[in-house]
Amino acid sequence: MIPGGALPGCRRASVQAEPYQQCRMRTACRLYVHACTDRPEEASHVKRYILKKLLLAIPVMFGMVFITFILLNVVPGDPIALMMKEHISPDVVARVRAEMRLDDPVMVRFFRFLWNALHGDFGISYKLNRPVASLLLTAFPNTLKLAVAAALVSWLIGIPAGILSAVRRYSFADNFFMGFSIMGVSMPVFWTGLLFQYIFAFKLGILPVAGFKGPEYLVMPAIVLGWSSAGTIARLTRSSLLEVMRNDYIRTARAKGLAEIKVILSHALKNSLLPVVTVMALQVAGLLSGAVITESVFGIPGIGRVAVNAIQNRDMPLLQGSVVLTTFIVIAGNIIADIMYSYLDPRIKYNKPGVSR
Amino acid sequence: MRALKPVLFAILILTLSATSVFAANPNYLSVAMTTDPGTADVQKTTDMYGIPLNIYDRLVEAVTVKPGESRIVPGLAEKWDVSSDGLVYTFTLRKGVKFHNGETLKADDVLFTFDRMLDPKTKALNTDFLDMIAGAGDRMSGKAATVSGLKVVNDSTIQITLAKPFAPFIANIATPAGSIYNRKATLAAGDQFGLDPKKTIGTGPFVLKEWIVNDSCTLVAFPGYWGGKPTLDGIEMLVIPDANTQRLMFETNKLDVLDLDNARSQVPYFLESAKWKSQVVSGPRVGIYYYAINQSIKPFDDVRVRKAMQLAIDRKLLLDKLFNGRGSLENGIFPKGLLGFNPALPAIGYDQKKAKDLLAQAGYPTGFDMEIAQVTDSPSTLKINEAVQAMLGEVGIRVKIVQMDSATYFATRKTGNLPMYESDWSADFNDPDNFIYTFFSEKNTVARSYNYKNTAVHAKLDEARVMVDQVKRMKLYQDLEKIIVQDDAGWIPLFSLEHLFVVQPKVKNFKVSWNGWSNMPYNGITITK
Repeated sequence: MIPGGALPGCRRASVQAEPYQQCRMRTACRLYVHACTDRPEEASHVKRYILKKLLLAIPVMFGMVFITFILLNVVPGDPIALMMKEHISPDVVARVRAEMRLDDPVMVRFFRFLWNALHGDFGISYKLNRPVASLLLTAFPNTLKLAVAAALVSWLIGIPAGILSAVRRYSFADNFFMGFSIMGVSMPVFWTGLLFQYIFAFKLGILPVAGFKGPEYLVMPAIVLGWSSAGTIARLTRSSLLEVMRNDYIRTARAKGLAEIKVILSHALKNSLLPVVTVMALQVAGLLSGAVITESVFGIPGIGRVAVNAIQNRDMPLLQGSVVLTTFIVIAGNIIADIMYSYLDPRIKYNKPGVSR
Repeated sequence: MRALKPVLFAILILTLSATSVFAANPNYLSVAMTTDPGTADVQKTTDMYGIPLNIYDRLVEAVTVKPGESRIVPGLAEKWDVSSDGLVYTFTLRKGVKFHNGETLKADDVLFTFDRMLDPKTKALNTDFLDMIAGAGDRMSGKAATVSGLKVVNDSTIQITLAKPFAPFIANIATPAGSIYNRKATLAAGDQFGLDPKKTIGTGPFVLKEWIVNDSCTLVAFPGYWGGKPTLDGIEMLVIPDANTQRLMFETNKLDVLDLDNARSQVPYFLESAKWKSQVVSGPRVGIYYYAINQSIKPFDDVRVRKAMQLAIDRKLLLDKLFNGRGSLENGIFPKGLLGFNPALPAIGYDQKKAKDLLAQAGYPTGFDMEIAQVTDSPSTLKINEAVQAMLGEVGIRVKIVQMDSATYFATRKTGNLPMYESDWSADFNDPDNFIYTFFSEKNTVARSYNYKNTAVHAKLDEARVMVDQVKRMKLYQDLEKIIVQDDAGWIPLFSLEHLFVVQPKVKNFKVSWNGWSNMPYNGITITK
């Protein structure tokens, strides 16, 4: 907290802390950025920052692809032997390996892959026989639906539970909600998934067991997956809110005679969400890279299953494609988290030296 | 919050706009697969036969006549002749057979299909089924642009000449690998053949309608099927990797058939459930469970050690406790139901004392340490291995179970360096060659990490392949079987098992396939309203 004085990069806020707080309370940072960007370069700083991060993503992605490629070539495994399994025939393996140019040196294969990838061609999956890009693009919307729904569930459980627990600290509600959210984290998804399937599909018959043919198919997986990450959100909201509640401006708000609910929701909560939002962005990125177990239990044709199948089958092209995609998602999640940060706390600037990000 | 509204709205739309709506047709059969088949091009897969068996036909078909028994019947070929030297096969094609695209089946389509398998550009995996045709080798290595052994006599006659006699040739092409494609459609489909439903054309009772990768494949009845209107309107094949999910889907009526091979832990439940026990359908599977012994690892180069291992395992107990006794003990290589099965083979007993004596004679009175390998994600294999670990422990052999991922497992096995392991094999076609040659021919014994060395046996195996006299050939196979298993103790045969399914009461006429494929042709099954 800056106790007042000039705020970097914003002339209007160079009054005192109080108006700054007000300005900030007017919800979002976008408003704030617009209202406070007397200096036009502010917006372009954000753009430049994003661009810089995206450029940095390129070496990261290259590194990821390279490491996966090398690792998979170091560990034993032969995609053709795997495809044939019990029907192995040494002559056929040798012939097909040669036909697929799998016997070329590792580096030759790596650069061939890289060259093609740079031209937008990620190759054909060994096992699924389809272009990698199209496989990933077909699977991604399914994962996206699941991730978004699960994230919503986790926020809907996590944030209210966190608020309630912070406001009524050590009460029954606190214990109950924290207990409920922690339960979600502690129980493995395959087990919760099975339990839900048993109760809601088998016993009650109100939801389908598995598959992905309509919105009702999304209900159970979203709850199971969302519940599993609600605990983190709840704990974070609780501790962060508790910390904010100790601040002077909360006392001021109360002294002004504001209703407690208003104090909590519009004064305290917004300020306490900063760390929560970061975790949320990373959580969504994580969910988008595929919830392998949930996708398996509920038979959802998403990214997670594609990636795991690719590893199991030593399906190099498909695996490389998945790695590129998930690396990109995680990097994007990080950038979004950073932007949300500045959005929620305009004091955080990306162009100023000394503000380490 | 105002800014959030469009976002929330977009999310809602996204969520609601999920995939296609489930069309519940009462005359559809719903079955499960554990993984996506990857391709419906049978030349490029060695085990994903679910779609191919239903959308293509073969020149000849092996049908199940009785539990565990099969017979070769005419398929796309009405009749066939074999020359007296066993080299030339002449097939007369059925008249008026239509492909799904309306084309009429011609001998040229057969030539095209078999040539495509051997064409190196196809990168086919199933070439073993056709590589005995004259000129196949030259075609595969790129030395020839055609296969010299394939000849179109006229539109309804095709002649196939083999390089050497191969008695099981007919049985061998009655497998999914012998499926016949249409030249025009397949060429037009290019690399989309077997992937794009519209471009994957066969003559079979069903047409591939829709394929959502990792989700489902839908097949619909082909009204112009030469064998008459199919008994089902369609088949829905769902990809459900999780065994428990499969079971719950079956119990909630979303699956009509549950292959208990995919949910082995559920077998006792279904066998005892009052609701389901009468719905369990089973049939002997022509296949064998066995332990492979790697003879290049000491002390397994000593036949006495191998024999001791055979005697130290209580196979009856394994069968009863782990498989509910649903199978029969095997003492050789050819399981019950296979041509050449020898019921007179002496039984391999369970005799700890004799096993210990043999170990002592071999110089291991206090036993030795050894490894059993298996893949990580197979709890049912782990159960067998743990039981065997305990049994071998009783005669002093200290077993360590090594688990590895399947990629490592198969890659190590291919090089001949995998330690002892448990596996099973079931018949592709009804001939001893499909077992004994697959396991114990000189090259294959290394590729499967047996490293069984007996030059006389290897030579005889090649000899048996080209024998025309069936009686003599079967006799030779039985002699070789006895040498390999009983004299040389080349492997430890365990048992053959029944294949168990549970079906919904509305599913009628469900017959367990005689062979070992988990997949089966579904035409003939009916669903009562």
